[in-house]
Amino acid sequence: MDEHKVRLEISELSKSYETKEGRFQAVEKIDLKVYDNEFLVLLGPGNCGKTVLLNMIAGLEQPTSGEIRLDGSVIQGSDRRIGMVFQKLALMPWKTVMQNTEIGPKFRGVKKEERRKKAQSYIDLVGLNGFEKAYPAQLSGGMKQRVGIARAYTNDPEILLMDEPFGALDAQTRFVMEQEVQRIWEQEKRTIIFVTNNIEEACFLGDRIVLFSECPARMKEIYVNDLKRPRDVISQEFLKLRAMISDNTDLAL
Amino acid sequence: MERKIRNKDPLGRGLGCHPYVYTMLSIAGILTFLFVWQLLLVTGVVSDRYISKPTELFLLLIRKFSDKSPDGSTLPIATLASLKVAVTGLVLAIVTGVPLGLIMGWYKGADRFFSPIFEVLRPIPPISWIPLTIVWLGIGLRAKAFIIFFAAFIPCVINSYAGIKMTQKVLINVAKTCGASNFTIFYKVGIPSAMPMTFAGIRVALGNAWSTLVAAEMLAANAGLGYMILMGRSFARPDIIMLGMVCIGALGALFTGILGIFEKRITGWRR
Amino acid sequence: MGGTNKSTVEERKKTAWADWGYRLLPVLSILLLILSWHLASSNSPDSFPTIQATWERFLLLWEKPIMRVSYPGHILASLKRVCIALFFSWLIGISFGIIIGWNRKMDAFFGTIFAFIRPIPPIAWIPLITIWFGIDEFPKILIVFIGAVMPVVINTHAGLSSVEQLYLNVGTAFNANRFQMLFEVAIPSALPSIFAGIRTSTSTAWMVVLAAEMLGAKSGVGFLVVRGMDGLDMPLVLVAMITIGVIGALLAAVTNFMERRLCPWMSIR
Repeated sequence: MDEHKVRLEISELSKSYETKEGRFQAVEKIDLKVYDNEFLVLLGPGNCGKTVLLNMIAGLEQPTSGEIRLDGSVIQGSDRRIGMVFQKLALMPWKTVMQNTEIGPKFRGVKKEERRKKAQSYIDLVGLNGFEKAYPAQLSGGMKQRVGIARAYTNDPEILLMDEPFGALDAQTRFVMEQEVQRIWEQEKRTIIFVTNNIEEACFLGDRIVLFSECPARMKEIYVNDLKRPRDVISQEFLKLRAMISDNTDLAL
Repeated sequence: MERKIRNKDPLGRGLGCHPYVYTMLSIAGILTFLFVWQLLLVTGVVSDRYISKPTELFLLLIRKFSDKSPDGSTLPIATLASLKVAVTGLVLAIVTGVPLGLIMGWYKGADRFFSPIFEVLRPIPPISWIPLTIVWLGIGLRAKAFIIFFAAFIPCVINSYAGIKMTQKVLINVAKTCGASNFTIFYKVGIPSAMPMTFAGIRVALGNAWSTLVAAEMLAANAGLGYMILMGRSFARPDIIMLGMVCIGALGALFTGILGIFEKRITGWRR
Repeated sequence: MGGTNKSTVEERKKTAWADWGYRLLPVLSILLLILSWHLASSNSPDSFPTIQATWERFLLLWEKPIMRVSYPGHILASLKRVCIALFFSWLIGISFGIIIGWNRKMDAFFGTIFAFIRPIPPIAWIPLITIWFGIDEFPKILIVFIGAVMPVVINTHAGLSSVEQLYLNVGTAFNANRFQMLFEVAIPSALPSIFAGIRTSTSTAWMVVLAAEMLGAKSGVGFLVVRGMDGLDMPLVLVAMITIGVIGALLAAVTNFMERRLCPWMSIR
């Protein structure tokens, strides 16, 4: 794996909002390089600027200053090469699993037959074969998030953003889903930027873990995690890494 | 919401302008409407036998404060007559309908007993009660108030019923573990959490009452705004009809506004 | 142990009794309703016809047409007016609601005009419209249209102006264009609200057609009510009222059925 080919380069990125109480700084001067095919985890306490940062990369929000470069050129607005798995289960309740999954190619105007085939392969990959005609309301939380992942992959992104995708799941399902994401990532290599506030999840999944501070979000430290996959969550090395990050984390209420 | 607007309106939603732009557009909308209306009449595209000018309506409004022709009462008296009927019917409906709905929603026995009667009577529009009511009660205040009552009663019951049914189970359980009796829970937990829905019902009731009032006054009355409109038609006076319509509309909007203020006071905890 | 067992048995017996009670209550209430009708009518049969008289009038109505229109003919006449008016009110109301719900500037301009016209009850339009167009079919349909279009516009507007940002974000992330955003994301997400408007418009339309027919018509169920009133034929009034109630309930059922067919995801729970 060529670890050092830079795909995404974020420089001096800041975001602030004007509120009634004055200026609110959500993200402050982030400089970050994302390498090809790496699993990058953004870890930080509470609900601070990580989501905002991700939204800016996805083009859902405009940065106040700074820029984002993809393969060397500045991107503005939402870019097709960047896909997203949303924090809340952002499936459209009026679409079936299949219709939700094929949404990306459909919006691009890909022919029905072709996009169905592609969507089907990813539905199979996430293990939802047989549920194509179900509506999201008929699925469990874990299954819904599988659809979210299949939907993102079907759009063929080069960089995949995941915004606390498993935050709403119970611990058991969460662990299963973490393993699933790892399996899918190893099978279909993409660059993944994964946001979480769970240290264990970060250590389990990340090639590199970027630790953020409390509001405004600033980068504190980058940990390189080269433990062999699949990782043993009770091995000495794992626990050591986990303790190291945990000691360095700001407490959030 | 506002933070997402930065991106200069990519969806064609017309968002992100300074607030005063929208205010100006609103005013422009109304002025254009009145202007086109006036213009159609002044240029003679539409004959004033069918419709009267906004300016004329305004003058008529002032004149009608003291002029009794053609319907036999001045505007304030007609308004008062309508208001008396509407308020009587509406207040009766709220006072009986809301408690009934709440009780039906909370106590299963009451639900089983009243629901069938209710389901039978509900689909019959209040207007169709008018003939029977005239035979029973004549065309006085009582008759009209009864019809208004009927129109307003049903949304009051339905909404307070639905509202109390939606009381969160958790809240009830909290009260239960604190040892509250069923009635205390009904009173302290059920009723407050049913309030937003109840108010929505009262708002519907108000609209129903007001629009049924017009029908009641057209079919059985000798005073009131609805009667004034009907007389306007008999004398082929579109100006009287339109003045009546404007007054009814304006009063209806006014009441809805007042109710909104009340609602905010009472359900203020909801934000 | 034995004690607890016994008490649960007793409790079960108790709930079984309560169950029976609950099952009996609806029957009791309907019986009470019929009984009170019977009592009221036997006291003053002139102002409140007896059950028997009403039933006989109903049978007679099938044999003897009124104003040369049969009983089903009157029902169909009313239904025809309602259906035509509903068709146009849905078509125009939903389109207009989408325009002012989606675009804030349109809302400021046209929405304000609409907001000024909206508080006028549909029935209050009847005299003006009869002055304009007489008492033909068209003015009646127009009045019903005015009544039915209001709730459709209001609800469509509410649905579209409050589309969840999350769904719009999904659309943006998957590069939906304006057209797709509106038709694939915003409008479907507003469908529950739009259908609420359609439901209200159906019941409003049924009420308004009645009023319009009561104030001047030669056919329709509203005409039957007035005919009964004018001819002091109270059983006819009652038959007409019951007909109106039944048809109204059927219309509501049809709307619900339509909603379930067109938006299957809404009834999943």
